[in-house]
Amino acid sequence: MSSELVLSTSDLTKVYGTFTALDGLSISLERGRILGFIGPNGAGKTTTIKILVGLVKATRGNASICGAVCGQDTARIKRLVGYMPDVFGSYDNMRVFEYLDFFGAAFGIPRRDRKRRIDACLELTGAARMKDLFVESLSHGMKQRVALTRTLLHEPQMLILDEPANGLDPQARVEMRQVLLELARRGTSLIVTSHILPELARICDTVAIITGGKLRAFGSLDQIMRTVRHSRILEVVLADRAGVSQAATVIARELGNQAAISQSEASAELRFTTDRDDSGLSALLARLLDAGVRVAQFREIPMDLEDAFLSVTGQSGAKPSDAPSVTQIAREPQPGRVGAGA
Amino acid sequence: MIPIMARELTAMLRSWRAVALQIGFLACLGALVLLRWPSEARVDVGGVASRQVFRIFGYGLLIGLMLVTPAFPATTIVRERLQGTLALLLNSPIRPFSIVLGKLVGSVGFVLVLLVLSFPAAAACFAMGGIGLTSQLGALFLVLVVLAIEYAAVGLLVSSLVRSTDSALRVTYAAILALAFGSLAPSVLMNGSGWADSPFHAGAQLVGALSPLPPAMFAVGDTGFLPGESAGPLVLRFTIGAAIVSLLCIAITTLRLSSRPMDRARDAGRITDDRSPRARFVRRILYLWFFDPQRRSGLIAPWQNPVMVKEQRCRPLGRANWMMRLIGTYFVLSLLLVLGATTLSQSAGVTGVLSAIAVMQVSLIVLLAPSLASGLISSERESKGWQLLQMTPLSAATIVTGKLLSALFPLAFVMLATLPAYIALLALDPSQLRTALSIQITLIIFAFMAVLLSAGVGSLFRQTAGATAVAYSVIAAICVGTLFIWLGRDAPFTQQFVERVLTPNPLATMLSIIGTPGFADYRLIPANWYVMAAITVSSGTLLLLQVAKLGRPR
Repeated sequence: MSSELVLSTSDLTKVYGTFTALDGLSISLERGRILGFIGPNGAGKTTTIKILVGLVKATRGNASICGAVCGQDTARIKRLVGYMPDVFGSYDNMRVFEYLDFFGAAFGIPRRDRKRRIDACLELTGAARMKDLFVESLSHGMKQRVALTRTLLHEPQMLILDEPANGLDPQARVEMRQVLLELARRGTSLIVTSHILPELARICDTVAIITGGKLRAFGSLDQIMRTVRHSRILEVVLADRAGVSQAATVIARELGNQAAISQSEASAELRFTTDRDDSGLSALLARLLDAGVRVAQFREIPMDLEDAFLSVTGQSGAKPSDAPSVTQIAREPQPGRVGAGA
Repeated sequence: MIPIMARELTAMLRSWRAVALQIGFLACLGALVLLRWPSEARVDVGGVASRQVFRIFGYGLLIGLMLVTPAFPATTIVRERLQGTLALLLNSPIRPFSIVLGKLVGSVGFVLVLLVLSFPAAAACFAMGGIGLTSQLGALFLVLVVLAIEYAAVGLLVSSLVRSTDSALRVTYAAILALAFGSLAPSVLMNGSGWADSPFHAGAQLVGALSPLPPAMFAVGDTGFLPGESAGPLVLRFTIGAAIVSLLCIAITTLRLSSRPMDRARDAGRITDDRSPRARFVRRILYLWFFDPQRRSGLIAPWQNPVMVKEQRCRPLGRANWMMRLIGTYFVLSLLLVLGATTLSQSAGVTGVLSAIAVMQVSLIVLLAPSLASGLISSERESKGWQLLQMTPLSAATIVTGKLLSALFPLAFVMLATLPAYIALLALDPSQLRTALSIQITLIIFAFMAVLLSAGVGSLFRQTAGATAVAYSVIAAICVGTLFIWLGRDAPFTQQFVERVLTPNPLATMLSIIGTPGFADYRLIPANWYVMAAITVSSGTLLLLQVAKLGRPR
């Protein structure tokens, strides 16, 4: 895979009156990589995307895609980028083929190649059987496929997809994921926004978390997990129910009130949080065993993108100020990953 | 019913458009009365001035209500359906009949507010003297209230049948035009002909009772066109006719809402190419291959403007099969008009026939141009297609050209279909060639003006329904509104003033070219051509600027 940068933004800012929708966004992406762009509603994701595709003008900063400056080289950007907004943008009384033919013609795809391109893209997105259907009669999932087909017609080098999995059933999500991975394999770079975080975690090489217009975390999923993981969640499964309260007492004595212990007598389980490192946890396990607690399992609950997102955005009970800043993440070593210098 | 009615009425009354409409309405009526308010010490015992004002006041109210009344009910059900709130309403304990009645009362309520606002002007006319309280003022207001109920019911019915707000407006205005003017055509054509005593004539008169024009004309004092009639029976006939139409519309709308309006199968997208060889053969013969609506479309050619092709494909009437039906209808209609006017009405003569064709052609443009052009930009914004267009390499000029051509071509085809009428007339009277040419020039410039003006005005709106309603109002104001001043020719307005006001009016220009009585004294060309050309260029510039503005990054 080439390490050529296809997207880079620097201090990208958008201000509407007194409201700052986007505040100094700096990210980058390599060819063939998939960037998951996540944030709560109103975080500034769509503003960023619209600046990138030239629909919105940045107040400050700059962005470029494959060397074309966003907002200046508008004609080049249109050919380099395939943009799929979160709304379909349908036309009544048009069949899918006619709809795609229009966009093919609008992008100047020669007539002799157009039909072949339409068929190939429909095949790739699994929408070939919808060719003769009327656009307005399609279900939401079908429309998403057709929208993706439309986006691919002019063979863009970068795809920007706003909530592509929105409203799709599980089967369609799996298929959409496969299509996106296939596109990345072919060398297309992708920016994907989604609220379905497990879905993103499965396909993204890089993740950018944005809240209130500010970039909170940027890097590979592993890097973000490592950085946001101030405290670890541990689970202790006991061999018998009788030891649950004794184990809770030992843990509370060792870790203090910060442990947030939850216990279940029924399943003989305890969960707690701690910021101890591995040797500290080893000592804790020894204390439990010394106290006669019969430990069957002692393990760390792995963090997923959803936990990372909640931790970064300060929605998991932690204060927003607890969220790590981008600089904290950028200081982490990031071998072989984009975003190290962000 | 009460919650629906309250919601409809408050939604209408609290919009800035409603306030603007009410203020504009009051200002017009106030200006009208002030114009003829006696400023001298002399007393107008005969009430001549009052009758002159009342005539314009009455016609103004009539046409104003004909334009305003259907705009709200025509979009109400279809908008609920598109926004998904119709399902919520139908799922509530409110019965479909109550929903329809609530919407009807709400819509009529707004019109009643306008009528109440007109009371001071009406009272001023009455105070000036010479106007009967019940025989004229009361009759006029009764006709207007009945008209409001009938047109609101028609609007609601159309709204329950169509799938988009702009087509709802289009169909409703066409229906109202047919009810108001079309219903009079049979009896007008039969008057003075050999058919005047036949049972068909009685039938034609029954159909004519659906029009509010005869009772309204009687109410304002224009009684010369129907000798032997009086206001009372005319108002009664219209009230009965309107009540039947209203009840039918309410019943059908209620039935539509009661019979699971959401229960529609998705279109299977059948294509002739995929059918059996026999079915394919039959369809190809039947539709002459090219006009088959289920034919798989070819690719857009390099010489074609993609936006134009897209517009034609996504517009039901833009498809070849519908276009041919429309052209065929107008072809037959224009020939029937010539035939009817020359055989049924001996008194019509060439002037009468030419005037009838001119009215038909102008009506056609007034009806079609706003429906084709007003939503060219707003529909893209409404369907979020504009964002997609912006992401294509198409320039603003290509988009504007494509969109305008998509509106101009169908209009041109339909207008061409009415040409045989002129050819038939020229065969009868070749000396009319110059007149016919001048009419055609006026018509062509008007077609351009109507399309560009509708597109320009429509581009200022985010919603197609608003764009369509305003475009219709602007075109109607030019073609019909200026005729109110013509009604006051000689008094209160001078000939010079009337001529100036009529200058942008294509219908008045065509009638003056033909020499139709009442218009023969005005010299409106070439001034009309220059004014229409100026409006066309200004509207085109507005459209281009608006498209360029919308295309720029925000």
